[in-house]
Amino acid sequence: MFNKFQEIYTMSMHRGGGGGGGTTTPPPTTGGGRTFSFIAAPTSLSTSMNGSITMADGASISTWYFSNGGGFNGDRTVPSPVIEANQGSNVAVTLNVSMMSSPHTIHFHGLDVNQQNDGVPATSFEVNGGSSYTYRFTAPHAGTYMYHCHVDTNQHFEMGMFGTVIIRPSDGSTNRIWNNGPTFDKEYIWQLTTFDSSWHSGGGGGMGGMGGGGGGTGPQFARYRPDYFMINGRDGTNARTDSTTAITAGAGQRVLVRVQGTSNMPGIVNMGGLPFEVVASDGRPLAQSYTTTELLCCAGERYDIILTMPSSGQYTGGITYRDIRNSGNLGSVSTTITVA
Amino acid sequence: MKRRDFLKTGLAGSAAFAVSGLTMFTPKIASAATVNITLRAEGTSKTLIDGTSVFVWQFRDTSGNSGPGALTSGLLVREGDTVNVTVQNRVDRSIRFVINGVTMSTTSSVSAGSNRTYSFTAPAAGSYMYTDNRNGELGRAMGLAGPMVVMPANGANRLYDNGPAFDRQYTMFMSELDDRLNAAVQGGGSYNMANYEPNYYFANGLSYPDTTADSDTLIAMNVGEDVAVRFINGGAITYPMHFHGYHVNVATRNRSVETRVIEKDTVQVERNECVDVILPVEQAGAYPLHTHYVPGVSANGTYANGGLIIMNAA
Repeated sequence: MFNKFQEIYTMSMHRGGGGGGGTTTPPPTTGGGRTFSFIAAPTSLSTSMNGSITMADGASISTWYFSNGGGFNGDRTVPSPVIEANQGSNVAVTLNVSMMSSPHTIHFHGLDVNQQNDGVPATSFEVNGGSSYTYRFTAPHAGTYMYHCHVDTNQHFEMGMFGTVIIRPSDGSTNRIWNNGPTFDKEYIWQLTTFDSSWHSGGGGGMGGMGGGGGGTGPQFARYRPDYFMINGRDGTNARTDSTTAITAGAGQRVLVRVQGTSNMPGIVNMGGLPFEVVASDGRPLAQSYTTTELLCCAGERYDIILTMPSSGQYTGGITYRDIRNSGNLGSVSTTITVA
Repeated sequence: MKRRDFLKTGLAGSAAFAVSGLTMFTPKIASAATVNITLRAEGTSKTLIDGTSVFVWQFRDTSGNSGPGALTSGLLVREGDTVNVTVQNRVDRSIRFVINGVTMSTTSSVSAGSNRTYSFTAPAAGSYMYTDNRNGELGRAMGLAGPMVVMPANGANRLYDNGPAFDRQYTMFMSELDDRLNAAVQGGGSYNMANYEPNYYFANGLSYPDTTADSDTLIAMNVGEDVAVRFINGGAITYPMHFHGYHVNVATRNRSVETRVIEKDTVQVERNECVDVILPVEQAGAYPLHTHYVPGVSANGTYANGGLIIMNAA
C-alpha cells in the first residue's frame, strides 16, 4: 500500500536497533510505594483478542490486550501490564503475536525509539499472527511513558491494547521520579480510559481482527461516542474502591500519581479540591512546576503530579471527560482519597 | 516573485533545500511593505482522500497563489507591513473577517455578494489564523480559515524578536469536517454545531498519504537542525499532536511564551489556538506526527488517513 517510507525503512533498518552501552539491570522489585504490579524489562508480551471486562452496570465489554500472565495489576485486561526499566538501560520487549491473530505492533510512545522499533506499519512493519519481534531501545529520561499497538489504531487502541512504561532513575530508586528529582512515598497510575461500547460489539479476536461490527477499519469507526468512563479500566462504584485508583496515604505523605491520557478524549483530573503539584510531563521535568486543583490531560499526554496528603479526612477525586468538539462534559469517574 | 514561490521557499522549502540542509528562509519582502491581497470566500467542491466529493467553503487568493499544501490562501508577512485584505463574499450569508490578536480597520461584516477591505498593521512576529467569526464555529467547520505567519521585522529566522531560532519552518494548518454539516449548508439548510461530529481530517487541507506527496506538509529535515513547526488549529476540535521519534520544545501559545510545560512529545492545540514548537532533530528516520484523537487519523473511519504527517530526517 505504501512505498516511499518502506524504502526509507529498508535503508535505515540496518543502522541497528536501540541500545548502545547501557546495562540491563532491572528495577528493584521491592521497596517503594507502588500500588500496582509491574514487569521488569527485558520481558515479553503476548497478545489476546479474547478479553473482556465487566463494567459497574454489569455489562461485559470485549477487550484486546497485551499480557504477561495477566493485564494491568494482574487482575484485569485493560489496561495492559506496567513495564519498568532503569534510565540508560537496554530495553528489550519481545512481542509474541498469537497464532491466527490479526497483526499487531508495539509503539513505545514518548520513548523516542528509532524508526525500526517504532511499531508503525507505514514506516516500519507489523508483526503477523504466529510471529515475534523483539523491540529494542535505550531507556531515556526517567519518567512516565506509554506503549500501545499501532495497527488500525482507531480500533486496537480503543479495544485496550495500551499500557504504561515507567523509566526509573539510573540507580533504580523507587522513591524519586528522576535522578535527584522529587521524592515520593506512594505511587499510583491513573490511566484515563473510555469505551464507546459500539466499537467493541462483535467482539472476539481471530483472523481479520473482527470487532466493532466489521473489520479493523472503516465507517463503523467514523464517530467516537464514549459511554463508559474509567480510571485503570474501572468505572462507577468499582473505581471508588479499586486498590489501584483509590488513594490511601498518611497525613503529610507525598503521593505520586502518574496521569496518562489513554482515552481519545481529554480528561480533567481533580483530587477532590486538594491542591497538587504538577512536576513533569511526557517524561520530562517541567521548566517550572506549578500547583493547581484541576489538570487537563489530552490523549497521548502524561503528567506526573504530587499530592501532599492533608492532615485528615476523606475526599472524592477523579476524572471529568471533556468532548474535544465543544468542551462539554461527556461523563466522569470518581474515586476516594483517604488520609489513613 | 509570486507569493506562492515565496511560500514554497519560506514556509516549507523545496526538495532541493530539504536535502541540502541549508538555512533556507530568505526574506523577500522589503521592510514595511504594503501587502494587498484579495480573498474570495466561496463554495466549492473538495475531493476527499476516499474519492467522495464534499461541498466546502474556502478563502481563495484570487491572484492564483495558494497557502501551504492544498490551502487556497495563506498570508506570509513581516512585522510592520501594511496589509490590506479585500474580502469578496460569495457564500450565502454574511461573514466577518477577523484575526485573533490583530486590530482591524473595521469590525463590520461583509454581506453575501459584497466586498469589504480589512486593513491592519502586521503585528508581532508569530503564528495567527484568519477566519470568519460571524457564524460561530460554522465558518471554520466549513473551511473559512487560513494561516498567517508574521516574521520578525529584521527578517531573522526566529519565531519572534530575539526568540528561538530555526533552520527551517513548517506551517501545519489542522482542520476537519463533518460531511453532514457540509451537505446541510449546501442544501441551504441550517446545522446545529452542537451536533458537530467530524469524520474527515486534514493537515494543510490534505489527508494521508497525500500529506507525504506535498513539500509543504512532508517535514523534510536533517539531523542536527532545529525545525520550527507552527500548529494552527483551523478546526472546531482540540488537536493533541503527538511526535514519534522526538520531543519538541513548546515555544509559544497564541504568541505568549510558554514558561512551564515546554518539553513535550504530545502538544495540545486547542480550538482557535496557534502553538509554535521547535523540534531539535536528534535522530534520522521517518516518523509520524499525528493527533492522538485517533479518529483524526482516519477518513470516515478508514485508518490511516486523516491529518497524518510524516517527518523524514536525513
